[in-house]
Amino acid sequence: MTKYDLVNIDTTFEGYQKLINLYHEYRYRNNEQLELNLKTWFSGNLCATLGGLLDLLKDEMITINFGNIENRIETIMRKNGFLSHYFYTAYSDKYQTTIRYLKLKPKDGKYFFNYIQSELLNHPDLPKMSTILKSKIAESIFEIFTNAQIHSETKSIYACGQYFPKKHIIEFTITDTGRGFKEIISSFFNKDVRADLAIKWAFENTHSTKQHVSGGIGLSILKEFIDLNKGIIQVVSNNGYYKIDQDGEVMKLFRGSFPGSAINMQFRTDDVNSYSLANEPGLDDLF
Amino acid sequence: MKEYRIDVFNVIGGALCIEADDGQIIYENILKAINNGTKIIISFKNIEMVTTAFLNTAIGQLYRDYRKEEISSHISFEDITDDVKVKIKRVNQTAKLFYEDPGRMQRTIDDILGE
Repeated sequence: MTKYDLVNIDTTFEGYQKLINLYHEYRYRNNEQLELNLKTWFSGNLCATLGGLLDLLKDEMITINFGNIENRIETIMRKNGFLSHYFYTAYSDKYQTTIRYLKLKPKDGKYFFNYIQSELLNHPDLPKMSTILKSKIAESIFEIFTNAQIHSETKSIYACGQYFPKKHIIEFTITDTGRGFKEIISSFFNKDVRADLAIKWAFENTHSTKQHVSGGIGLSILKEFIDLNKGIIQVVSNNGYYKIDQDGEVMKLFRGSFPGSAINMQFRTDDVNSYSLANEPGLDDLF
Repeated sequence: MKEYRIDVFNVIGGALCIEADDGQIIYENILKAINNGTKIIISFKNIEMVTTAFLNTAIGQLYRDYRKEEISSHISFEDITDDVKVKIKRVNQTAKLFYEDPGRMQRTIDDILGE
């Protein structure tokens, strides 16, 4: 048995790098027993990413147990239900700041809608966001979900979130462990596209790798909404990192490749934009 | 022209126009009606969510085989929100670009790679 410490995993490039390091450290160690210790901090939303990576290691017959988990991390992971997947009992979430960890099959889109509805849209303790803001957030999350569903060929999709009431933000992460942006786009164009550029390309309006049906709108809808909402998008896919926020775009490369894609969306819950559609088309002007 | 109403809720069996596969079912219904020379009214009554992935297969791919004028003369919508109208318009504009200029996607990747 070997022990591995994950220390201070937050929703940053460095946090994702540490998760990628864990995966590469163990991916070829078949039949090994891994005891994972979680220290200092672990962002609850990244349970979606850790869950996907640990499932890939389990596919390599690696037995995973948790050793020492710092109290505040354990509390969050029991409340959001992540540790229930590792023989722990769940805690109830009195203040309801966690958004439940969910692992589901790509075909379960309707189940995913019920999850978003109960965890986000009808959540009693989430702030009194306007109906239109809630619906814009749900719509953005769905565009990401269907993107993973259509393109990634993943076995499972993982989701988890965390609400930070004092900062007025929701962090929500969706992870798949299928084909990443670089793999899909390089194979489509039959050329080696750098991973961060592949992600940037996919976020441009109308860019799509679908063969016979047009597309490429979903990710740009997300980007446009996040821009108005003053939120943040981070995408980790293969060895590419792409972040977009009010300060612009950041692109970097990881040491080692993430096996699939993790997309984190940070939404501001104190957004007072009306999101009225000034130029909605008439019924005769849709074609 | 005869009219035929497609009740999206009933055809896909629920309020969620989320998945591309469900869009395909609507597309096949539209195709059948167009081939019969029928005018189609697509009703989104009781629909709670619509993604662009659904609309791409339901409506966008009509532009592969039909011109804008043929599509607009055969299809109309009812019970749709402003938000869905915006998405339909965007899906249609994207579909026109996609089918009119098959080499466009290759040029966009060349641009980003600086080639």
